[in-house]
Amino acid sequence: MIQPHDSIIVKSLGRFLIPVIQIFGLYVLFFGQYGPGGGFVGGVILGTSIILAVLTFGHNASRSQIAKKLLHGDGVGMLIYAGVGGLCMIGGGEFLNYAHLEIPGLEVASRRSLGIVLTQIGVALDVAVTAISIVFSLSAEEIIEDSLNG
Amino acid sequence: MSRHFPALLFLIPLFAAISMPVVCLKHRGWSRPIALGALSAMVGVSILNLSNIIENGEIRYAFSGWASPIGIEWVADVLASLILVALSLLGLLALIFAGPTAPKDLGGRIVHFYTLILLLISSLTGIVFAGDLFNLFVFLEVAALASYALVGVSGGKALFAAFRYLILGTLGASLYLLGVSYFYAASGTLNMADIAERLPHLLTSKAVVGGLLFMFIGLGIKMALVPFHAWLPDAYSYAPESVSPILASLVTKVALLGWVRIIYWVIGAKVIMNEIPILLLVGVFGSLAAVIGAVLALTQTNLKRMFAYGGISHIGIILIGISQGNATGFVGGVFYLLNDAVMQAALFFLAGMAICHYGVRTVEDFGRVGRQAPWLTGSLVIISLGMIGLPPTGGFFGKWYIILGALEAKNYLAVGAILLSTLLTLAYFVKLFDRIFRDNSSSSDALNHEPPLQFKWCLGLTSAAIMLLGLFSDPIVSLLLTQALPPGL
Repeated sequence: MIQPHDSIIVKSLGRFLIPVIQIFGLYVLFFGQYGPGGGFVGGVILGTSIILAVLTFGHNASRSQIAKKLLHGDGVGMLIYAGVGGLCMIGGGEFLNYAHLEIPGLEVASRRSLGIVLTQIGVALDVAVTAISIVFSLSAEEIIEDSLNG
Repeated sequence: MSRHFPALLFLIPLFAAISMPVVCLKHRGWSRPIALGALSAMVGVSILNLSNIIENGEIRYAFSGWASPIGIEWVADVLASLILVALSLLGLLALIFAGPTAPKDLGGRIVHFYTLILLLISSLTGIVFAGDLFNLFVFLEVAALASYALVGVSGGKALFAAFRYLILGTLGASLYLLGVSYFYAASGTLNMADIAERLPHLLTSKAVVGGLLFMFIGLGIKMALVPFHAWLPDAYSYAPESVSPILASLVTKVALLGWVRIIYWVIGAKVIMNEIPILLLVGVFGSLAAVIGAVLALTQTNLKRMFAYGGISHIGIILIGISQGNATGFVGGVFYLLNDAVMQAALFFLAGMAICHYGVRTVEDFGRVGRQAPWLTGSLVIISLGMIGLPPTGGFFGKWYIILGALEAKNYLAVGAILLSTLLTLAYFVKLFDRIFRDNSSSSDALNHEPPLQFKWCLGLTSAAIMLLGLFSDPIVSLLLTQALPPGL
């Protein structure tokens, strides 16, 4: 059980900080193509923002319900990753060879760029969900049990 | 299309595993059909892949189109493809067996149970195909993490065994990684073919010898070589009946295959025979393992523990074959590896059936039901013929080629070790049969109803495979001799 934090300072700061952290996470995720960053780091930052929300507002708050739903998403990120790789194979290239991502009207360079962004989104989703589920399973076992059985 | 087969073989179980938590969110019951479907597809593709590779030669699959020293590559040669056919077939059988024996109290976690089995199989595929040392480590770890969870899945005493396995397995993986980093420091690359090219100039470097020793100890823990075997009997005997066949038949053998790749394909046959005497070390450890494992098996009273120690002694016999440094011994070792995978699966199917259907755990109780259970005793006869190594079975031909190889290398100690371990294997099976045929007590109630169809299928098919591997040993051995030998042997 994670109780909501009773300090008004923590709650107000949380309300302000969580969206900022999420925007920063998205920035790191999409900036990964051009410089340091990428799916793993961006995913950790996005996951942290939701962990912060759960720690300040408790795991029964409406925001935390989103987090619980997200717990089922650990396969989705990997599916996006493997799906993009599979599309490349269907296009005639090797697994994850983005040049063969058959999208009409796109040059090879922009296909590669798009492919990297899509796989990084998959990685970010997976890392974020893993971070959240670690915190949940450390704090309260019954949350995961409920969400699996319910 | 056929050039994608090696990648597909890895992706089919992986894709099924990762889609399972999403697809089976509402319908828990779908997890088993999905897993069975994925593995059936894998069996088909692995057979197509083997025939394609025998015809057209090895495939080097470069992921994302990056060529080999920079990118990640999959090496699918005849050896890997042959092992993969066995791996996918045994995986499918183990999955069929897992149905009626899956732990009852899993609830919603049954989805995760099947996910873990599929992840284990896909990572074993990765170990077999990996073309660089670091990816070998990654898949070794994925396979190990899946096995820790599968061993401990039903809780209780199994958790303790799983924790011990976790500690020792992590130690092994760390030592292996340390060895890889030594190699990387010395050669500047991780790709196996690339290291093999650069290594002849680096043989004076102590980092190469040290790294090789670290890798040997690390993989030795993973394959349960005798001084490092302590985790295995507990892990396999406390593991749920549904997962011990897959663990016993595949995980240790695939780690051994990784070691074969490293000594013969990375270091090279010329070097290990002339410059670094690692084969001598492997041979001595193999002989020790073959004898000590069989002695320990003889002293066991629990059925599963006895079979687990039998597996440890067979790892030693395979290593003796590999370490002879000639083609006959090598082929014998690889052929025995295939046979041992089938025999271990059969033994643990048998133990699982004895436990789940007849409620029998010890050698003594086994004698009580043995006479009234024709499926159990009949397949035990065939499996024991294979384990001891009597002529119509594949076990005989494997041991035969290993002994021929050892004689060719004038390695009489190894021949003695194999013969001694054969005698000891005979001894512990005689102990089992003695219980069955001397016990005259009346039958219990469980004997009146037939065992489920899945049990019969699994036991029947693996027993038949033990015989068939013997009857068709000639084409397999000649295939290995002509197409699967490492360069320079």
